[in-house]
Amino acid sequence: MTQPHETISSSGLEEQNKGGLRKGPGIGYVRAGIFLYMVCLVVLFLMCSTDLIIRETEKEIYQVAVIIEDARDDNYGNFRKGMDQAAIEINADVRFITLYEKLDEGQQMEMILREQQDGTDALIVAPADETQVIAALASRQVTTPMVLLGSELTGEGVEGAVVIDYREMGIMAARQIMEHTPADCPVMILGDREKRSAVSQRFAEGAAEAFEDGGYRYRRAEDMEESLKGWEGPEAVILAENPQSLTEAARLLTDNPFLGECVKGLYGRGTTIQILNDLDRGIITGVCAADDFGVGYLSVYMAVRALEESGSQQPVTMESWYIEKEDLRDPVFEAMLYPIE
Amino acid sequence: MRGKKLLLLVGLTLILTACQGSQKEEPKTSIRIGISLYRGDDTFINNIRSVVEEKAKEYERESGIKVTLDIQDAKGSQNTQNSQVERFIALGCDVLCINPVDRMDASLIIDRAMTAGVPVVFFNRQPVEEDMNRWDRLYYIGVDARETAVLQGRMVVDLYRKQPDAVDRNGDGVVSYVLLEGESSHQDSLIRTEWSIQTLKDGGVPIEKITGGIANWERSQASALMEQWLLACPDIIELVVSNNDDMALGAIDALERAGIADVNVIGIDGTTPGMEALKSGKLLGTVSANKELYGSAIVGLAVSCGLGEELPEEYPLEEGTYYWTPQEILVRDSAQGEGIEEN
Repeated sequence: MTQPHETISSSGLEEQNKGGLRKGPGIGYVRAGIFLYMVCLVVLFLMCSTDLIIRETEKEIYQVAVIIEDARDDNYGNFRKGMDQAAIEINADVRFITLYEKLDEGQQMEMILREQQDGTDALIVAPADETQVIAALASRQVTTPMVLLGSELTGEGVEGAVVIDYREMGIMAARQIMEHTPADCPVMILGDREKRSAVSQRFAEGAAEAFEDGGYRYRRAEDMEESLKGWEGPEAVILAENPQSLTEAARLLTDNPFLGECVKGLYGRGTTIQILNDLDRGIITGVCAADDFGVGYLSVYMAVRALEESGSQQPVTMESWYIEKEDLRDPVFEAMLYPIE
Repeated sequence: MRGKKLLLLVGLTLILTACQGSQKEEPKTSIRIGISLYRGDDTFINNIRSVVEEKAKEYERESGIKVTLDIQDAKGSQNTQNSQVERFIALGCDVLCINPVDRMDASLIIDRAMTAGVPVVFFNRQPVEEDMNRWDRLYYIGVDARETAVLQGRMVVDLYRKQPDAVDRNGDGVVSYVLLEGESSHQDSLIRTEWSIQTLKDGGVPIEKITGGIANWERSQASALMEQWLLACPDIIELVVSNNDDMALGAIDALERAGIADVNVIGIDGTTPGMEALKSGKLLGTVSANKELYGSAIVGLAVSCGLGEELPEEYPLEEGTYYWTPQEILVRDSAQGEGIEEN
């Protein structure tokens, strides 16, 4: 049977001690010890949590705004992947902004100024109008460090530029066409019905120059269907000067097989999934492409570097390639065209 | 003495709290929305994404409130999506719009959001009810899967009643069909299958199932399955019932490769490629959610939650949580302009 619990009085304790138990500190001392121990713990905890002992190095998160010239981001898929990758690696907070209307330079300037006013640390801009952006930087209207995309222009305030030589790309496309096509085959340079971007213009100019040098006939068209409807004569080759026109042309050829009878080959530029699928299906003959993932990554990297080290950096020119269906399985192109973040 | 000190302390605390409370909150001039998609290459989700971007711009223009969308692709990985949610919260997003990878596993996202006090608008893939009931700032936007399925079944029933031979192509009195199903873990997949077939039966269409398979909403997988079925059961299949347009298009790809043109294919979603197939006569019909409304509801709810405003009345919420987007039947004739459209 268990004995009922008994309280031990201090005199009782003394008796226990006398009875052979080792004499320890008094209860008061024990309590004081525990109290001090607890206080120490609390102080240590507070010191740790308030960074007094272990100070974590604070990495600044830079606010970077990317403002493109387009109203949609369809042509920026791989670019965005590269941009996001850089944002994670170098701790930047990157916001991707599209315009309400494609190539609306006034609106782009409003967006740039809005971002500047909101305290964005750096801007990455694919200019709708290069000269206007450069002028805004020169007049100190825009003082936020800026990295330009695709533009070859430099000026005060441009902290860096990732350049793709679209003129050279146009020449490359034209040379490939001339290599696969007889000289009497006319070429249609297909462009946008809407406003033409500087990039498309440079690409078309490069191609036109190469065709002239090679003695090939070419003409510019804005509506492939209309142009081909009244087509009387030999087969023509189509060179689309921008990804949208190329996608549209491929769709027309898929939906209207009779149009294909007068089209010997469809060429262009761009790396959207739709374009790559059409290239794989043989609807598009060949495309010129640059490493868009690399452009995205590099532009964010340059923007952050401009903030950390201050001072403008040398523009980086990206290489361009000509790709046909067979190249899609090449590991180098595969990694470039279908990047895994 | 001790009591007085305590009283003084309490008094000071009250004054400080009152001062803090009396500070007027500045109205927000910008909102940041974190959007995570279960898979960026899903056609329907891409369509919704485009509408959301468009509507966000519209809202920005009309209200003058800057809307920043952070759109991320979870690439079918719940872990990736969880990391994206953490990053959104760390970057100070005011509201999250999540298209969950695994609808059974939304609890972590909800935990993070609740801790940070960030409301969540789920869409397209409905988290389980237990999760949705955990907080009153969780919302879901989607379509009523049963309604979708009934509408899909009804388009065949209507055609059968008007022209039986247009459905029973070989005239043997039985409509032999194959079934293409979406992911088994998706709530809509099971409901669409069950109610679509039930509607056909209830509508008096004499159906017989030849075979069926899960193609995970994907065109390529559906195409491969259909190719196998055409080899195994040549000249038997008269109808392909697909849980979505992408798989229906996959079946059409296989039919085209085999040179077969007299099989009816029906889908769901009304995606852009699906609509093109409808216009070209390859697809018999589809059930389309009103994508404009779908996207508007996502933006409308997200903006209201993020700005701490009252929820918009134009999107009535069932049980204060669910918004069901209206749907319509689009059949071959309507795509060519003659028009049967139903809600």
